[in-house]
Amino acid sequence: MSSAPSTALPAGEGLVAPAPSFSLAELGDDFRRGIWQENGVFKQMLGLCPALAVTTTAVNGLAMGLATLAVMIASSSSVSLFRNLIPANVRIPAFIVMIATFVTVVDLSMNAFAHELHKTLGLFIPLIVVNCIVLGRADAFASKRPLARAIADSVGVGVGFTLALVALGGVRELLGFGSLFGLSIFGASYPPFLIFVLPPGAFIALGLMLAAANHYGATAAKKVGN
Amino acid sequence: MSRMTLALFTVCVIGAIILALVDRATRAPIAEQQRQEVLRALDSVLPPHTNSADQDSRTVVVGDGSQVVLYLARRGDNVVGTALAVTAPDGYSGDIDIMVGIDRGGRISGVAILSHAETPGLGDKMTTDRDWLPWFRGRSLTDTQWGVKKDGGDVDQFTGATITPRAVVGAIHRALELCASHCRY
Repeated sequence: MSSAPSTALPAGEGLVAPAPSFSLAELGDDFRRGIWQENGVFKQMLGLCPALAVTTTAVNGLAMGLATLAVMIASSSSVSLFRNLIPANVRIPAFIVMIATFVTVVDLSMNAFAHELHKTLGLFIPLIVVNCIVLGRADAFASKRPLARAIADSVGVGVGFTLALVALGGVRELLGFGSLFGLSIFGASYPPFLIFVLPPGAFIALGLMLAAANHYGATAAKKVGN
Repeated sequence: MSRMTLALFTVCVIGAIILALVDRATRAPIAEQQRQEVLRALDSVLPPHTNSADQDSRTVVVGDGSQVVLYLARRGDNVVGTALAVTAPDGYSGDIDIMVGIDRGGRISGVAILSHAETPGLGDKMTTDRDWLPWFRGRSLTDTQWGVKKDGGDVDQFTGATITPRAVVGAIHRALELCASHCRY
């Protein structure tokens, strides 16, 4: 993505006519921020209920992440489009109705066209409605930004959420069953390490991954500091 | 009407229209998926047959007043077996829905798990262990002690999981008993 020409302005002078209200570089930032810097699961610790509950395998994590991503793009876009028409004091119920609508659309479509996956994820698809990452981005970002920026942000945060779920599901599947995306990695003789597939394993795996991420972050920060 | 009311009303109307359209578009595919699922289970548990068993069924009222659907397998004009879905309410986590196929002689022709939420790696060995469900084939009410070995029966439990097999065995036993009193050939 090429960044828009950034003309260095002399101090004290502002743009006379702000033709586009955002630049491509801004869109890139909106997208990138959600991937890691403000990652919903690893940095903000939001949306942990689906992150912990459905990540028994990498495939489940991927499916749940993509379903959430689809809901986020649709809800952030419509929130941004209607942002000037919805009075501030009823915005939350209005956003929730929008989100619930898109979640039901995803739920019905998955049931019709990805039936097996729908059976596996089951209850957790409707629960995307209460994923606070979705409402959070709608209210904190999309309701105050133009459409393009709202979409860039929702794609970034949604992809970040998906990556987090795939990573967590991958670690649990690898340690639990010795496979990744259903393909055997450690061979048939690998004894299943069940704790990682069971609910406690979700907490343990997430905790270890957070510790690793924080350690890496702290080390990197120290290097920059020197 | 205040602006607030109007805004919420409009959002709800648009949402309702979208949902109505999506529901109309997905209703037939979802029904077809569910039919295919039942059909696959029926074909896997019934003896070889030539009819579409899911469209050849009758409903009977059993002892406790609940309804049970009996799916009939025909070869030509002869009924060669019956399948019925039973629910084991006493699994480790939630209901286990099981399809049991029974031939004319009252022997099991196949068992399939329709849905369950048992623990991966423990209770779900009933579906991942390739020898466990087929073990039931050919067994009847009279030639088998219907219980897990821990309870003095003939059926293997799994290491670390007794509740799931106990529930499944109980449900299969119940299916055999239901069939004994309701299957007619």
